[in-house]
Amino acid sequence: MNLKYSKCLGLAAVLYFTANYSAQQRVSDTASKEKLIEEVVVIGYGTQKKSNVTGAIASIKASDIEAIPAGRPEQVLQGRAAGVNVISNSGQPGSNATIRVRGVTSYSSNNDPLWVVDGIVVDGIGWLNQSDIESIEVLKDGASSAIYGVSAARGVILVTTKKGKRGSLNLSYNGFYGFSSAARKLDLLNATQYATIINEGFANDGKAIRFQNPSSLGTGTDWQKQIFGTGERQNQEISVQGGNEKSTFFGSFGYYDQSGIVMSDISYYKRLTARLNSTHKATDWLTLGQTFAYTHQKDQGINANGEFGGPISSAANLDPTTPVVVTDLSTVDANMYSNPNIIRDENGNPYGISPYVNQEMSNPKAFRYTQLGNFNWSDNFIASVFAEIKFLNHFTFKSSLNGKKAYWGSQNFTPLFYLSPTYSNLVNNSLSRTSQNKFEWSMENTLNYQNKFGQHSFNALLGTGYYDYNIGNGQTITHTNLPISSYQDASFNFALPSENRTSNTWDNVEWNKASYFGRLIYDYDNRYLFTGTLRYDGSSLFGANHHWGVFPSFSVGWNVNNESFWPQNNIVNSLKLRGGYGTLGNDGIEAFRFSSFYLSGFNYTNGNNTVLTGYAPGSLANPDLKWETTRQVNIAADLKLFSNVNLSIDFYKKKTVDILRPIAIPGYVGVSAPYIANVGDMENRGVEVELGYKKNWSDFTFSLNTNFAYNENEVLSLETGTKYLDESGYQSMGPTQRTIVGDPYKSFYGFKTLGVFQNQAQINAYVNGNGQMYQANAKPGDFIWQDANGDGVIDDNDKVNLGSSIPKFNFGATLNFGYKNWDLMVFGQGAAGHKIFQGLRRLDMLDANYQTKILDRWTGEGSTNVNPRVTRDDPNKNYSRMSEWYLQKGDYFRIKLVQIGYTLPTDMTQNFGVSKLRLFITGENLFTFTKYTGYDPEIAAGDSFGIDRAFYPQAKTFMFGANVTF
Amino acid sequence: MKNKFLKITFAASLLVGLSAMNVACTDADLEEKTNPGTFLSENFFRNEQECFFALVGTYDPLRKYAGGFENLVTFYNAASDDFYAGGGSATDGAGIQGVSNFQINQNTMPASYWRDYFQGITRANTLILRAPNAVMDETTKSRFIAEAKTLRALYYFDLVRIFGNIPLILKPFSATDDLFNVPQVAPSAIYAQIESDLTQAIPDLPMTVSGDQKGRLTQGAAKALLGKVYLYENKKAEAAAQLADVNGTPGGTSQYGYKLVANYGDLFKSAPVTEANDPYKFSTESIIEVMHTNKANSDWSFWGQGKDEGNSICIMTAPRSYTKKSDDAPDIVSGWAFNTITTDLYNFMQNDPRRDASILNLGLLKQQNKADYSPAYMDTGYFLNKFMPKTYMLTNLPGSQELNYRQNYILIRLADTYLMEAEALGGTGSRAQALLDAVRARVGLASVPVSMQAVKDERRRELVGEGHRFFDLVRWGEAASKLSSKGFVAGKNEIMPIPLTELTGTILKQNPLYNN
Repeated sequence: MNLKYSKCLGLAAVLYFTANYSAQQRVSDTASKEKLIEEVVVIGYGTQKKSNVTGAIASIKASDIEAIPAGRPEQVLQGRAAGVNVISNSGQPGSNATIRVRGVTSYSSNNDPLWVVDGIVVDGIGWLNQSDIESIEVLKDGASSAIYGVSAARGVILVTTKKGKRGSLNLSYNGFYGFSSAARKLDLLNATQYATIINEGFANDGKAIRFQNPSSLGTGTDWQKQIFGTGERQNQEISVQGGNEKSTFFGSFGYYDQSGIVMSDISYYKRLTARLNSTHKATDWLTLGQTFAYTHQKDQGINANGEFGGPISSAANLDPTTPVVVTDLSTVDANMYSNPNIIRDENGNPYGISPYVNQEMSNPKAFRYTQLGNFNWSDNFIASVFAEIKFLNHFTFKSSLNGKKAYWGSQNFTPLFYLSPTYSNLVNNSLSRTSQNKFEWSMENTLNYQNKFGQHSFNALLGTGYYDYNIGNGQTITHTNLPISSYQDASFNFALPSENRTSNTWDNVEWNKASYFGRLIYDYDNRYLFTGTLRYDGSSLFGANHHWGVFPSFSVGWNVNNESFWPQNNIVNSLKLRGGYGTLGNDGIEAFRFSSFYLSGFNYTNGNNTVLTGYAPGSLANPDLKWETTRQVNIAADLKLFSNVNLSIDFYKKKTVDILRPIAIPGYVGVSAPYIANVGDMENRGVEVELGYKKNWSDFTFSLNTNFAYNENEVLSLETGTKYLDESGYQSMGPTQRTIVGDPYKSFYGFKTLGVFQNQAQINAYVNGNGQMYQANAKPGDFIWQDANGDGVIDDNDKVNLGSSIPKFNFGATLNFGYKNWDLMVFGQGAAGHKIFQGLRRLDMLDANYQTKILDRWTGEGSTNVNPRVTRDDPNKNYSRMSEWYLQKGDYFRIKLVQIGYTLPTDMTQNFGVSKLRLFITGENLFTFTKYTGYDPEIAAGDSFGIDRAFYPQAKTFMFGANVTF
Repeated sequence: MKNKFLKITFAASLLVGLSAMNVACTDADLEEKTNPGTFLSENFFRNEQECFFALVGTYDPLRKYAGGFENLVTFYNAASDDFYAGGGSATDGAGIQGVSNFQINQNTMPASYWRDYFQGITRANTLILRAPNAVMDETTKSRFIAEAKTLRALYYFDLVRIFGNIPLILKPFSATDDLFNVPQVAPSAIYAQIESDLTQAIPDLPMTVSGDQKGRLTQGAAKALLGKVYLYENKKAEAAAQLADVNGTPGGTSQYGYKLVANYGDLFKSAPVTEANDPYKFSTESIIEVMHTNKANSDWSFWGQGKDEGNSICIMTAPRSYTKKSDDAPDIVSGWAFNTITTDLYNFMQNDPRRDASILNLGLLKQQNKADYSPAYMDTGYFLNKFMPKTYMLTNLPGSQELNYRQNYILIRLADTYLMEAEALGGTGSRAQALLDAVRARVGLASVPVSMQAVKDERRRELVGEGHRFFDLVRWGEAASKLSSKGFVAGKNEIMPIPLTELTGTILKQNPLYNN
């Protein structure tokens, strides 16, 4: 590291040197954690008694996490805390989740919260072994998260891993093994129904029908049966912890393996983790500590949410008249199977190729063969080391150094194949490998002063930090035309001419951040509470005019039940009122967006067939580019009632201004990259309620914890001159959503229908103010479009708000019941108030299969007023126009986990040296209550904002396992 | 006690020193991060290497004719009476479908036709402004600037023919400019600028180019373009003068080395990809030719970004699900079935020797059971044969086969300039007769008496599918009559609507009758 960095660091080496001194002074441990009986909550850069917390912090402890089967670690937050929404992005093994804290904060690209694990800022916690977690705290409001300054606007999640306990050595094992299957499948047409509908489409357009005898086709192929199977899932881990008065340590190893319910040999996820944490009291006044984690992941995935290919969208669109395998070539058009590279099964029979449905769709079983040589891998090393010095009785100085290094990449082999006339690779096979690495590090120093003068308690914190991001590079290499045919024989060691070997390498663009922060926590007699924070951040991401920003906050609280005037009663045992305000920043943009560069890649080829590199102006400079600012107000009350009931109610309002967006500059300016500027505002308002009941009597224990959140999102302004932003284009339909002032972000916008024309007279009667027919070219069976703006014409100006893609309500409930050695846990969560767009069927594939909903189509006068007629030409755009016909309510409630456990009696297990042995059975995603007809209503509420393009659905899983403690 | 005091002091001063060091992070530490592998705009254009990079970037938009889904040739073919849009269905490609039945509006008009050309103009403007300060050989510098001016003229010519009412921008913008208050000008002002750019550029361009310089603009190319521009402005005398210089003696070799190619079909042939050099490229008839290649290894991540280097007309005009059934059927690669040919054109070309090179009668082959295909939207059985992809054209390098066809597109060729000169001469006189005869004689047709109608008919037969027919009809004032059955509205559809995204926030006005 060069001199500049060491200037910002504060030499850690010196601290180790001073460790050799043994100071005589004894520092009385006024804040010794293990002496406190009170519940403690982790706040930024420290901890606080829960009764004194004035911000809105959701806290989840290891005991809550233990029962949740391992998978993606962020899933443990789902449904546990009001205002923290965790939505799976797909059911594919290893697929991450979208996390939103109190709604969609900004409509620029990134809405993920800031993850801090043991003080280290990380991109996400996919690498983390779930059972290493001691606690997770979500800082929901402005006052509690403002200490993280310019990166805090989307919410802050603090994860603390286990550090070990004083006492004897503790060895434990946890493991489970389970099977998964699809919870729900689509209702698709069988071959006879398909042929009937296709024929009807031709007939309604005045053309000859295609299938002469639909009923002779029988049921045909059930493509979903070909893709769904049984997935397996297992988790094994061992952890060791222990310590004495001087040291504590925690170590663990974990192995997790999950195969998917769709084509499990090309959809799987494996993870190996190892961790070692320890702390040492070198002397009375010096404590040293470290955390270290290593994770190795390997996975492969299929297209998990897309209509352009992949097994799931192929299964939804392929016609059931095509067989899976062709055993008798005389039953099909033999010419389609003449290519030498068609894929055959183990018996040498070719896999069926659809004569009607092509482009990116293909027989999923055949497609699988082309993917077997592909996989992704990653290795992550995350570590931190700290030293803490206590001096002069009340001061603590802590210096910590964090780093993470990640290596990851993928390998792909594409063989020669012929899946269909439009999807083939007939010239060259290819083997490619991509590897990337990234290193990020940071250093933070804090000075803490704690003291009590009579009734006044003070806790003051001063700190500095320096953070360096995105140091790394990557490369990708492709070899083509290998002299082998199967992925098992593929290797980069074959000698090939240089034109068959291409590579591309890049360097990452780094950025850094420097911070100064301070906090004051004051309470008077545990009755009147105050917290104030201030953070001053500078980032290289922003223009010269705005490198630095200030982020203040404050919050106050009142423990009313500690007042002398509080009557002791059995109804309200405790009452705390709290409120706060904070200003936070969002720095989620790419580096150097404020400068103007000449970019390459605008190439042209010369007369000798050499591709020449061309350069062109990238964008315009914007020295005023700065972060987005979120200001949040939070007012709340925490009550304990009837000794057994906990109730918390929070009201909040947060407004984000200066939202970063690539603004549309006129095309005649002629630059090739978008221009990023701070334009636009958005607001979120809502209520969160957490209600819990706990009761023990004789051998029974019972607790019920529920949470409920209501969030309202509203776009307040966009860049000047823009009335709305078109969003979420769906194939040729164009945009299905709009971001428009006054409505929630990405609201569905489309046409409203007034029913279906039953006869020609109705068409003739539908006229505008001038007597002209609105839909002169319509036929009976077509939709009646509403002229929403009353201008006499049906056009894009008649698009209206059709509903929100973001749920308004999120709720969860956990029920724990215990009787002697038995325990039962039931956990459910759900969302409501949003719509889902079902975009499974390819509009441009006129021969794609339909869901059974099409059987309710219009067939004659009076048959239905809801569904239009089947037509291929579709001049009235019944199928190609965005309308409410494509939307369904997304409300759902899901029984996510049911776990029954039995702990063997300790006197029995102690004979084997086992202090605790618990056996359990878990069921995951058992029941979903919803009216939505697609695969899975949960996924739509996440990053895809309500557009279902054939999600990889979540699975129903049964697992059995054991927890053993020695 | 002294020991303790010393230790405390030592520890305390260490801490103070450490904290003090930490406060030293300043702007300088934040600003030392750089963006590797890029050039800051204010540092570019220092020498010949950087000016050449910028020149290549200015040539890049030439791929708009044949590259990408939204290419000029298939779009304007669909607008003419020779072709329909075709494709997978009525919704496959809102732009090309909309122009085929003239339902196109400001929402469906692809914005890339506006943006890509203005990007080319900005690149030319920047080069013309900044190259004079570069340290390099003066002749080369003048040549670069002349090429940039010619390209700017070409891009403005296409823009004014496509949109009619556009702004005239001659220098690059900076962040502090008022970006949204740029007005449109009358087409005559654009044409005046085009004429001025070409006239200034012509003396500084080379007479001929060879070797790796093939494809770069020459004097002949600029003159041919200027003649074409004059013709569109109805400045017939000036047009005839420029084109005469380009054409030389009808049927012979002109001063720039241009001569009609002996075999018409060779103009649209492509050598197998296994041959490094394609002898069919840059023939003697080619005046402005756009180079395409498979060496860029284009893949789908380039699609829509304007970075793929292949000729997209090939995959777009090939039939869907083609299967060869007999040995004498062609080895065609299946494609997306756009630009199906109208029966009207097929009948018009009945006895013309150029018919088979231009039109593939796949309907007949299917009837004869020699080949099969899956008819797509607006199928007529007739397909454009000039860019038909064959299996020997499939790329043998990495990248998707659809995006790596290396067949070039000839923007202006000698037969075209012969006929334009004949038109500029009013379709009368011995020179016009000689020019018409030379084009016909090349394919073995006998002479016919020259007239405007004869010249117009010959243009239709000679230039099938090359993207010129719609503009010709508009220029002759025959669009309304010939295209009425397709929905052409006079006074409206001669130019395209300005895409809505380009109007938003600006003071630009939409073209007449497109306001909805």
